[in-house]
Formats: sequence, structure tokens, C-alpha cells
Amino acid sequence: MANSKNDAVENARRDLAKRLKIDAADVKERSVEDADFPDMALGAPEPGEMSGQMITRGWRIQLDAQGQTYEYRADKNQVRAYKFKGKNYRI
Amino acid sequence: MNRNNFFIHLALALVLILVAAFAGQLSRWRKQWKPHIVPATDKKQPTTVDEIALSETHNFGRAEVLVKFKSGVSDEAIEALTARLHDRIVDRIENADDVEAIDDLDNADPATVVAEYSKLPEVEYAEPNYEIKLDDTNGPLVPVLPHDPQFEDQWALANSGQRGGKKGADISATLAWAKTTGSENIVVAVLDTGVDYTHEDLASNMWTRPDTMAPYHDNELGTIDDVNGFNAIDNASDPMDDNGHGTHCAGIIGAEGENDLGIAGVNWKVQIMPLKFMNAGGSGTTKDAIEAINYAIERKKAGVNVRIISASWGSTQRSRALEAAIRKAYENDILFVAAAGNASTDNDRTPHYPSSYNVPNVISVAALDRHDQLASFSNFGVKSVAIAAPGVDILSTWLGNAYEEKSGTSMATPVVSGVAALVLAEHPRMSVDDLRKKLMASTDPIVALKGKTVTGGRINAAKALE
Repeated sequence: MANSKNDAVENARRDLAKRLKIDAADVKERSVEDADFPDMALGAPEPGEMSGQMITRGWRIQLDAQGQTYEYRADKNQVRAYKFKGKNYRI
Repeated sequence: MNRNNFFIHLALALVLILVAAFAGQLSRWRKQWKPHIVPATDKKQPTTVDEIALSETHNFGRAEVLVKFKSGVSDEAIEALTARLHDRIVDRIENADDVEAIDDLDNADPATVVAEYSKLPEVEYAEPNYEIKLDDTNGPLVPVLPHDPQFEDQWALANSGQRGGKKGADISATLAWAKTTGSENIVVAVLDTGVDYTHEDLASNMWTRPDTMAPYHDNELGTIDDVNGFNAIDNASDPMDDNGHGTHCAGIIGAEGENDLGIAGVNWKVQIMPLKFMNAGGSGTTKDAIEAINYAIERKKAGVNVRIISASWGSTQRSRALEAAIRKAYENDILFVAAAGNASTDNDRTPHYPSSYNVPNVISVAALDRHDQLASFSNFGVKSVAIAAPGVDILSTWLGNAYEEKSGTSMATPVVSGVAALVLAEHPRMSVDDLRKKLMASTDPIVALKGKTVTGGRINAAKALE
């Protein structure tokens, strides 16, 4: 199912809350901006993942929680946690 | 001889020498001053072999294109048009249909200039000023312009400077098509997100398993009805694209040409074999890529003429298993064309796979923009990236009979795959080693690529067919 920008932000917020084991209400949206990512893994491939080398339009989502800022990347097909504790995750 | 006579003779000799030298210099000056434009009325078209040879040796200021303007277009309008295009009228050939011989001051290739003039409403026709070669038994190449309605947006194939691009910064497809527009005997496997094989501009160029060939059987996967290709994700039969990326790549290689629909592929005729291993998000696993490569190899062994695998994907992670699968493809005479990657990085330092595998059939492709500049996102590597091709704002087929412009080394890769298929259409028995060598030797040098790729050049389809 295709993500809208709002869907993507909401999915990212829920994912971050789950990873940090906190309430989703404690995750604040810092910024959401349109972005061109270098590939179809949105520049955030999981280990061993290969992706199409096409510039991909999506959204860079920044969320604040527990005094830190976390980045998610999303497009209509996917949402990814970018370098969460050093690793990328497709959620 | 007395002393006075001696000096008189000496003086006369010096005068004669000076006169001879002056006459020789005059002759040289006259040659230099000879106008480059021979009046049209003085011209006689060469007809015999000897006259053609003579015309070649006295070919001063050869114009690039011959343009016939429509009747009613004034001389002033013609001069204004050519000036606007930064061109120069070098002759008006009254005895030949009032054709203007035009020189392009930007040194764009003739096919591009022809395309540029052909689009003008004031022009009846335009054609190159062919260079007549005595040893060219097949006659000069005539640029071929397809009538696909969106062809003029395909700058990669014919860059006339549209949307501010650089004239001639293309792969010379229109000249290549004078030799061949492809062959339905060549099968190109598109290893990707699948292909929308029902797209109206692709359907007639899609591979389907011949009725006489048994469905694919793999000892682990079982029997798969691969009538439209192979899907390694679910090992089912349907390689339908659910993303669009694979359909885009397929259209670059082989959207049907001259069908009055959409675009023209590098090949107007070819067989595209869809191998789906990437999901709707555009990502896939090593295992599925290997299974799809193995499928192509097995189908080749079964008699399908798979000669090229086009791989518009990658990662920085090396896999020996994937490398072995690609080497197996090499042993089966299959070229493996791979995207250099979109991280703006040097693959000599940070390899990108599969394009960086040191296997003889791998050809790594960087992306150029419409100005002949290395795309800002493109990876490079003077030792590891072989060649460059247009890869920015590339128009091609998309899901649902649509067309979209996309950018990436993903888009440059199928350009090279397409040129490879054209070469094989002309030389079907060419080995993969010779094919790769041919592609590497068929580039136009690009300043921006110096020190960035092995060849330092942009692929030229017409050169590849010489």
C-alpha cells in the first residue's frame, strides 16, 4: 500500500517509540522535508540489501525523543530508520 | 668573362631567383586565399569514381548538413534562423533544389543538427552532407529519426540542445539506426523489479517462453511456468513489475520504435526477458539475484539467446556467491552490464557491487547529464568504472502505459546494454570478450570524464557498429 507523507511520519513515530520503548506521544516531529535519495533503499540499505540505483524522491523525517534527534527516510513504498544506533532498518 | 660581366650575370641570377621565389609564394598565397565556398554555379556534382576521388581531395570547407527550406521562407528568415542556432550558411546550391549548405559552429554531430532543423516548421527536409568514401560499398549512413511522438524528449538518443542541453551530447543513436535498429534474435535479461510486459510500448518486444520449450525446472525450486520470465522473490511465474524501475530500464533498452507510441528504445526490436528479484520498494537480496542469474544461464543452455544481463542495482557489500554467478554467466558468453552507483564516490576506493567485480564480462557504467557532465550523483573510478552513458532526466516507460523521466546510473546502464544488443544484432556470433572490447573502444572522449572512468568517454552507438 502506498504511503502518504502523513502515513510515513506516523509509521516512523510508532517505530521509534517501539525501539526506545517509550510512548508514541513522547516522540515529537522535528521536521519533515522533501528529499532526493541516491537509491531505492533511500540511502539507508540494510546489510546485504541491494537496491535500484535510481534517484528516489521521498521525505526526510526528523523526530525528537529523549533529548536526541532521530532520522527516518520514507517514500510511497517504504519507511526506513536511518543509522539508528549505527544501523539502518526497513520497517 | 671580365669582372663587370661577372657581376652583371650574378645580379641577373639573383633577380631570377627572387622572381621565382616570389612567384612560388604568390601561388601559395593564392591557394590560401582561395574562397572556401565555391560558387554553386561552378560546382559539378561528381559522378564517376575518379570524380568522387577528386572531389574528396578538393573538399574545402565541407558543410555539415544540407537544408531545404520551404518555399516562401525568405533569405532573411533563413539567415536569422541559422544565426539563432549558431550556425553558418556556407553555400546555396541553386542547381540542387535551392538547398542551403549549413555548417554548425558548435561542432555538433550532423545527426543532431539534422534533427534540429527537421523540427523547424520552415524546413522541408534536412540531411547530412555525406562524406563519400570510395571504400564504403554500402553507402553513407543516413540518420534515422523515428516518429515515436515523445522521441524529441529523448536527449540521450539525439541531443539537439533541447531544454538547454548540449547539442550532440548523446549516443549517436540515429546514425546507429542507419545500420540496425536491433534484432528479435537477441535476448536481453533485465534483472530488476520485473517488467510491465503489458506496456503498450514494450509488449511486442517482450520475451516469452516458446511453446516448444518446457517450463523451467530447478531441483530446489521445482517446476516454474516461466512463460513471461522469472520471479526469484516468490519463485512463481509472474515477473510483473510492481515498482516501475525495471519497466523504465526495459524501455531504455527496447521500447518498440516507429510504432507511433511514446518513445523509441535504443533497440526498436529486441527481446526483453524480465527477471524479477527486487520488490516493490526497489530492493532485493543476493540469493534472489543469484537465482535469477542462474535462470538466465539455464535458459541460455536450453537454447534461448540470452547475451546480456542488465543490472541497474547494487550495494557496497561484496558477495563471493554473486561474483561466482556472474562469472558463470561469463562462461556462458553473457555480458553483465552494471550500474556504477549513485553515491558520488570513487569506486576505486569504495567498491560498489556488482559493478566492481573483477570478472571479464562486467562493464560498469557511470551517468552523464545532458551537458556531457558527470552526473552529480554518479560514482566514478578511473580503474573500476568502464564507461559512461546518459543517465539524468531519462524518459522511458513506466507502469500503466505511462512514461516518466528518471535519473540514476540505473538509467545509464540500460543505455549501454541497449548498445551491446545493437552490436550483437549486427554481429550475432561476437564473443562476450570481443563485445566488451568493442563497447570500450566505442566512446566519444569527454573532458569531464578524464581521470574518472577507464575509457574517459561516452558510449557511441554508431561507433560501436563501425
